[in-house]
Amino acid sequence: MTEEFLLKFQDIKPTPIQTDIPNELCQILYTKEYANLMGVTRTLMNNREHSKRALELTSVVIEIAPAFYTVWNYRYNIIHDMVLQLKDANQEKVIEFLNKDLDWLDELTLNNPKNYQIWSYRQAILNLHPKPDFKRDLPILKIMLHDDTKNYHVWSYRKWLIDFVKNDSLFDFNIELNFTNIFIDRDIYNNSAWTHRLFVIKTNPANKNIDFNSKLIQNEIIFTKKNIHLCPQNISSWNYLIALLDWLNNGKATDDLIEFASQFVSDFFSNTAILPNIQSSYALEFLADQYKLDPKRINDSIKAYKALSTKYDPIRTPYWNHLIKGLS
Amino acid sequence: MSNEFRATLHLKFMGRHLMMLPPTYQSHDPNKMAIIYYSLCGIAATDKTQIETKYSKSREFILAHHKTIELKDDQKICTISGFIGTLTLDFQDNKVITINLSNTLFALLSLRILGETSFFENSKHKRHIGNLVKNCQLPDGSFVSSLDIDNGFKPSPVDSKDLRYTYMAISILYLMGSRSKQDFNEFIDVDLAVKNILNHQTLLGAFGEYNEPHAGYTSCALSALYLLNRSLNVLSESFKSKTISWLVFRQLSNEGCSKFQIDSNPSFDEADNGGFQGRPNKFADTCYAFWCMNSLKLLTDDWKNLIDTSAVLNYLLKTTQNTLIGGFSKNDDDDPDIYHTCLGIAALKLLDGSFDGSLCIPKYVSDTMVL
Repeated sequence: MTEEFLLKFQDIKPTPIQTDIPNELCQILYTKEYANLMGVTRTLMNNREHSKRALELTSVVIEIAPAFYTVWNYRYNIIHDMVLQLKDANQEKVIEFLNKDLDWLDELTLNNPKNYQIWSYRQAILNLHPKPDFKRDLPILKIMLHDDTKNYHVWSYRKWLIDFVKNDSLFDFNIELNFTNIFIDRDIYNNSAWTHRLFVIKTNPANKNIDFNSKLIQNEIIFTKKNIHLCPQNISSWNYLIALLDWLNNGKATDDLIEFASQFVSDFFSNTAILPNIQSSYALEFLADQYKLDPKRINDSIKAYKALSTKYDPIRTPYWNHLIKGLS
Repeated sequence: MSNEFRATLHLKFMGRHLMMLPPTYQSHDPNKMAIIYYSLCGIAATDKTQIETKYSKSREFILAHHKTIELKDDQKICTISGFIGTLTLDFQDNKVITINLSNTLFALLSLRILGETSFFENSKHKRHIGNLVKNCQLPDGSFVSSLDIDNGFKPSPVDSKDLRYTYMAISILYLMGSRSKQDFNEFIDVDLAVKNILNHQTLLGAFGEYNEPHAGYTSCALSALYLLNRSLNVLSESFKSKTISWLVFRQLSNEGCSKFQIDSNPSFDEADNGGFQGRPNKFADTCYAFWCMNSLKLLTDDWKNLIDTSAVLNYLLKTTQNTLIGGFSKNDDDDPDIYHTCLGIAALKLLDGSFDGSLCIPKYVSDTMVL
């Protein structure tokens, strides 16, 4: 297939890749096809050819070796140049042209979900775009996240996109908040979805002066409690709760939340005979972290850390002992 | 299964990666310097005599990847230099700028491992490589890895600018001799770089993009801050203790309440006991044992008394060490690969005190660098 494609470049003298150097390390045996393709690419880049066939060539190279950072750069420079030429004609043409590039990118993205380059290239194209449309990006992001629900690059890109369009009146933060529900419902342990949720709330310009008692935050507390009930031993939901408290309530839990957490630790604090079976080490840790702020309950805090060390979370024995040492 | 470190097998596995590689490696061609570094670093950490006897002659080969480029525009003239990762990216007369930070860092580390000294003592190299790093810094203090192929004064328009590149930029300057703030400031804006790193602190400790903490970025951020002034004083005590706690919780367990996740958490695996994950509610992965422990080590001298060291040893040696063909894999499912092999060994050597985590080279190599 590549050979046929290279017929378009018969006028180009390939620049050969240097090989067989003394004491060479990690010598890759290139196929003839690869060597030819790279040879032609090298000549074209050297000539700074910004043509339609050069653009097509970058697609072929990127498909074979998506990690080729210079070829992404070359492609962008070609696109940039072509946009400048089209601008003289009209803006619609520019939009159509860049959307076509995004179509190509969507296709490539589906086949290379772990590649880093894709997302920063996409940002560059949106920055160049006269009318960047976040709606155009949402379907591919959704597909990518459904296939790999914790893909850090995709979630990061999504957050970049929100930040990029946050002042666009068409962007609806409530829809975005609900988007995280889909992922939390599917896997309540999805930490990316939980952190995305907090990001959405914090990025919404309408929430700039929000306080802990606002309806939105109180609803978030209810939402989190409901999810902790479903799976009490889940660090993501507990961390979400702690993050809300850290952000808006100086890290201090309300009486209501102390009561809420207490239901997952059985009669731990009143039982002097045995260490009871509890439902969540995170609930016990949450209570211990709160109690240590109160001089009257500091012994309860120490008791909890000790029990975490011996029974409920023994792998962290050294850490729990370190906390106890800090208290006594 | 015994939990013995299978040095001979690993040396063979890594050695194979430095020999002839089949065409299936073509897609890694631009990152070839990374394969070279991971192999040499793992070999050096396992048996330094092999470096001397088998590989020291390859210095010249690595130096063939060093490119010096004169930049000129209407107002400025500037010479930059750095390394390309493969000779496929060697362009006639350097008309296309293909040097970047990652290949430069991997090449410099490899040269240090191979015992090269004169390259680092050359003041021109210091200046030119410093200029490359300088041109990679963005106005917000962050860094990209490469420059625009057509204009070396400008950062690449298509590159990402995450904490990996901040770490690489600072590590490169350190390797080329920068020690004091003044030394670093000669090329980069240190205050801006630090401010950018601090902007990546997340609410519950650790570092990441847009407030999602990640052990890899955390290691990059802490190592970069540490290399800048041999301390983490710029971080608040409360952030440091939150980060220690976040990192300690990345060690996975199949005991106590953790077991409650068996049926409900799709990312819970009892076999992960003792290993480290990169983010909450993810599977253990060999490389995060290194990123988490390196971060902890930078945060506190007492780090080994905060984690279960015998559990992590067991995880690495019994679960991800391959005892048939050598090497380490990412987890108990995959085949071994050179990246996880290097980082698995690095994690083990960090535990026995023979590895310099902030520079990512064996300690005996970084000991030769003290000014």
